[in-house]
Amino acid sequence: MANSLTIRNVEAGYGSVRVLYGVSMDVNDGETVVLLGSNGNGKSTLIKCITGIVQPSGGEILLSVDGQQVNLIGKSPEEIVDLGIALVPEGRRLFPALSVEENLMLGAYRKAARARIEENLEFVYTAFPRLRERAGQLAGSMSGGEQQMVAVARALMSEPRVLLVDEPSVGLAPILVSRMIAKIKELKDERNLTVLMAEQNFNQAIKIADRGYIIVHGHIEFEGESADALRNNEMIREYYLGA
Amino acid sequence: MSIDPSLLMNAVAAGILLGGFYAAVALGLSITFGQLDVVNIAHPAFIVAGSYLVFALNGGFGLDPVLAGIILMPVFFVVGVLVYRVYYAAFERTGRESLAGLAFFFGLMFIIEVLFILAYGVDYRLVETDYIGKQIEIGLLGIPWRMLVPFCAAVVMTGGVYLFLSKTFLGRAILAVSQDRLALQLMGADPIKIKQIAFGLGIATAALAGALLIMIGPVEPTIGRLYIGRIFAIVVLGGMGSIPGTLIAAIILGLAESLVATYIGPSWAPTVAFGILLLTLAFRPSGLLGRQA
Repeated sequence: MANSLTIRNVEAGYGSVRVLYGVSMDVNDGETVVLLGSNGNGKSTLIKCITGIVQPSGGEILLSVDGQQVNLIGKSPEEIVDLGIALVPEGRRLFPALSVEENLMLGAYRKAARARIEENLEFVYTAFPRLRERAGQLAGSMSGGEQQMVAVARALMSEPRVLLVDEPSVGLAPILVSRMIAKIKELKDERNLTVLMAEQNFNQAIKIADRGYIIVHGHIEFEGESADALRNNEMIREYYLGA
Repeated sequence: MSIDPSLLMNAVAAGILLGGFYAAVALGLSITFGQLDVVNIAHPAFIVAGSYLVFALNGGFGLDPVLAGIILMPVFFVVGVLVYRVYYAAFERTGRESLAGLAFFFGLMFIIEVLFILAYGVDYRLVETDYIGKQIEIGLLGIPWRMLVPFCAAVVMTGGVYLFLSKTFLGRAILAVSQDRLALQLMGADPIKIKQIAFGLGIATAALAGALLIMIGPVEPTIGRLYIGRIFAIVVLGGMGSIPGTLIAAIILGLAESLVATYIGPSWAPTVAFGILLLTLAFRPSGLLGRQA
């Protein structure tokens, strides 16, 4: 079944500050789409609009999942999660005083995920063997890289159709960033996910991207139909590669 | 001074039984204050309300007090849900819960007390069953039924709440809700609904705790005030919201009070709770089984 996100002319802001100006993008079934941009350009705000944390003031966000199409505007985060979208939030947002396993079990809170909880737990423990070793440890006492593993594993526990990943590189050492990004790609292939990743680390994000968008001051300034198109774009050379 | 073994044995047994009862009294606060950060100082007043309603059911229909307490639990659950809704809408949503919320629960405590003074007066009330007043004799040890039954009921209730919180989806969501509300929404749970249920559960425990309170001794409308210091001390010593911690802390307090009352004098017993509270805050602020990351 095809899963996709269609974002059309989304406007959003905080109070009188506008952040997104008519943003449109598509995330098609089975793709890994990256949303590139440096801090403060609206990446996270767009992710928050998709997950219902911020309500857009205009536009449409359509989710196609299991053959039906739903407009996400006006829905609460818990309703959106119930539809099959999972978010690995920026800063991870684990429950620090709960154990790793309790965090993972909470990931399976959504009704549709409860039936396959045993298999999913086994799946994430196989994907991240470190988490099996640390199952009883409090999440807040783990290193940044391990916490990011918990955050990704917790999102997968909800059996998402569409996985959103917000800034997975924040606070991680470069070697861990590249491992985490590779892991996301691997998990995406194993679980047939559709992935939208917001990231400022261009060189890392581009490694797993099928396509990408560049957002500048709340506008989509460039749409790259392939990783190469992104790599060879003038603006990217200017912004990221210093050329 | 030589220590009389039978006196010591009885003091220890009485302390453990009393401690079990304290666990039932503190359990609700361990959820509402320990997990939800709601400073519900009206909790003992709800317990006294439970005592009077059990008194009415016992006097009116001859129901066993424990059974009456269990029957009242769903009613108290609903009351708890409603109280939390008011608290949320009036204070928590606007971020004014610290002082205004405290005043709210203080006021609630007075209202409950006055209602029962109006209905029943300020005289002490008690319940009657076949077993209250009897005791089991094991050698030199005497275990009164009016202490043993509350102890057993309290341990069962505490165990039930522990299993609920640690083994169910709803329970785990209750453990998570005060740590990161937004993250809980991203798990697909509505934090306000979760808090309502948790608060309802906390108040529901007060119904059975009230039944146990009136079995242990006679009750008057303001007797709950004697328990405010004790239950906060237990929750803090137990480690803010840890259910096994609450049980252990309650038994420590019961034992300490019983030993102090036996060897130093009954008038010193009430100081034990505050002594424990001060020592905990000074030397182990996260409590015995507190989970601090």
